[in-house]
Amino acid sequence: MPDLIAMGGLNTSLSIGMQALEVSEGALNATSNNIANSNTPGYTREIPEISEYPENVISGAVTGGGVTLNGLRSVRDELLNLQIQQQTSAQSSADTESSALQQVQTYFSSTGNDIASAFSTFSSSLAQLSASPSSGAAQAGVMSNGKNLAQAFNAAANGLTTEQSAMNTQVADTVGQINSLTEQIAQLNGQVHQLTAAGQDGGTVEDQRDELVQQLSQLTGISVTQSNDGEVITTGNGTPLVMGDQSYSLQTTTGSDGMQHVLDSNGTDITSTIQGGTLGGSIQTRDQVIPSYLKQLNTLASQFASAFNAAQAKGFDSNGNAGQNFFSVPANPAGAAAGISVSITDPSQLAISSDGSAGSDGNVANLSAALTNTLPSGQTPSQAYANLVFQVGNDVSNSSSQSTAIGQNILQLTNQQNSVSGVSIDEETTNLIRYQTAYEAAARIVSTIQQLGTVTLDMGSAQSY
Amino acid sequence: MIVQDRNSKLEEYFQLLRSMAFELERAMSAISENSIQALEDSLANQEAFSTRLAELADDLSRPGRQEPLSVRDAADDSLLQRVRAASNELQSLNRRYSALLKFSSRSVAMMVSLFSSYQGQIQEVSGPRLKLQTWSCQI
Repeated sequence: MPDLIAMGGLNTSLSIGMQALEVSEGALNATSNNIANSNTPGYTREIPEISEYPENVISGAVTGGGVTLNGLRSVRDELLNLQIQQQTSAQSSADTESSALQQVQTYFSSTGNDIASAFSTFSSSLAQLSASPSSGAAQAGVMSNGKNLAQAFNAAANGLTTEQSAMNTQVADTVGQINSLTEQIAQLNGQVHQLTAAGQDGGTVEDQRDELVQQLSQLTGISVTQSNDGEVITTGNGTPLVMGDQSYSLQTTTGSDGMQHVLDSNGTDITSTIQGGTLGGSIQTRDQVIPSYLKQLNTLASQFASAFNAAQAKGFDSNGNAGQNFFSVPANPAGAAAGISVSITDPSQLAISSDGSAGSDGNVANLSAALTNTLPSGQTPSQAYANLVFQVGNDVSNSSSQSTAIGQNILQLTNQQNSVSGVSIDEETTNLIRYQTAYEAAARIVSTIQQLGTVTLDMGSAQSY
Repeated sequence: MIVQDRNSKLEEYFQLLRSMAFELERAMSAISENSIQALEDSLANQEAFSTRLAELADDLSRPGRQEPLSVRDAADDSLLQRVRAASNELQSLNRRYSALLKFSSRSVAMMVSLFSSYQGQIQEVSGPRLKLQTWSCQI
């Protein structure tokens, strides 16, 4: 009997030893796999899941049951993943906007043919007319520079419309890319589900899926949740894109405004609800930013043309006829900048005279004043244009700063995600609170630096003038 | 003499603007690398620089208006140009820094509240393969 117990004990020891070897081998495999994939994009570390076997009771004697490897598990941080996805969408949106606005900015930069230069030369030609009202060359100069001004408005408006069309094309292209990705993600969801149901490790497939989800977040803002069938992905406002192994395609259709509209799988127009990613950035730039510039440009063209035409109407041309409109603008104010043109056909039609008598030049002052008087918008034409240029420049700078800052925030989150050192929750909480305190202090400095900017500018003005 | 004094203050102001720009870059890298100590070090420098910058800005702008025009004109023009360029660069960096703080603060605040709520890890069982979800990178 003691021999049997001894034999049983020996067998048990051997069995425990074998189990321990298997566990060690599994753990080593996991470690070497982690090392091999240390530079693989999207790879998630795996760690062995080890637990103790139940104890053995032989003839009343209790011995340890050894150890077993339950499997490998991936260490994922869903909150960090979520934040990275959100920030990726935001950065992609800012990048799209920044890139489009940089293009828009070229239509407002000083090239000699831009609106500011055209206003300036038009003003100079009126000054020359004022000095030599009867000069045919001075009259022709006003007409010619008026045409240049109208053409500068046309070019800026057409440039904005061209950029709007480019964004419109990008909407349709991006929707196609989204559909391709959601289809692949749904397939991988199905594979993960099958593998886990069969008791196998789906870590590699999950990594592939995470990589695609990351790519999807560059295209549009998404929300990712877990269900028993796999990941559920929706747009920011809840339109389903992927549910388990089923993907839901978005569609595009041309709306009454001539723009591509995005429809969900039920045919509902979700264009205005899409935010983030290339798609959100394109829609925002196409439907909000560019129309806002166009509106201001149209208002300026329309109000300036009306003011100048009103000045013309106060005088008489060289033939003694009442001054007719100098500029022609379309009846629809929305097309003012694109459609503005000079309507007089001969320089003699300039209303120089204030009373119709030969030699009178009393109305030249009224014509010149149209360039310096305030428009109904409350600004002079030059001020209104300068404000628009400033707004475009500011928007470009803002979107670019946003993109860079988000990039650094993503780097911060990625560094956190890639952290390989074990950290305790308490230690990390303490660090986070330190961050909060540091950010509060930093915000005060940011505000001080902002104030310094104005002071420094004043310093320069005091020196220069 | 007044001009010399003004120029030396402008020179100091210029150097501080550049140092501050360097510190903002350093702080942004520290945030990206999650290096709280480096961020705190940079902030300490920033606080010292911003205090001195504010003093100098006050000094350089207030008495300038009382000086005769000839004195103001005599100040080094190229130095002033450099000050303005450095200031523009700092403003641009500051704008980026401000945006980064905004985004990062949001992340940090969210994590602090979650850490406070859970104070630990959450385990989610998914079939035979355990999936460990943590609110930090605990490995």
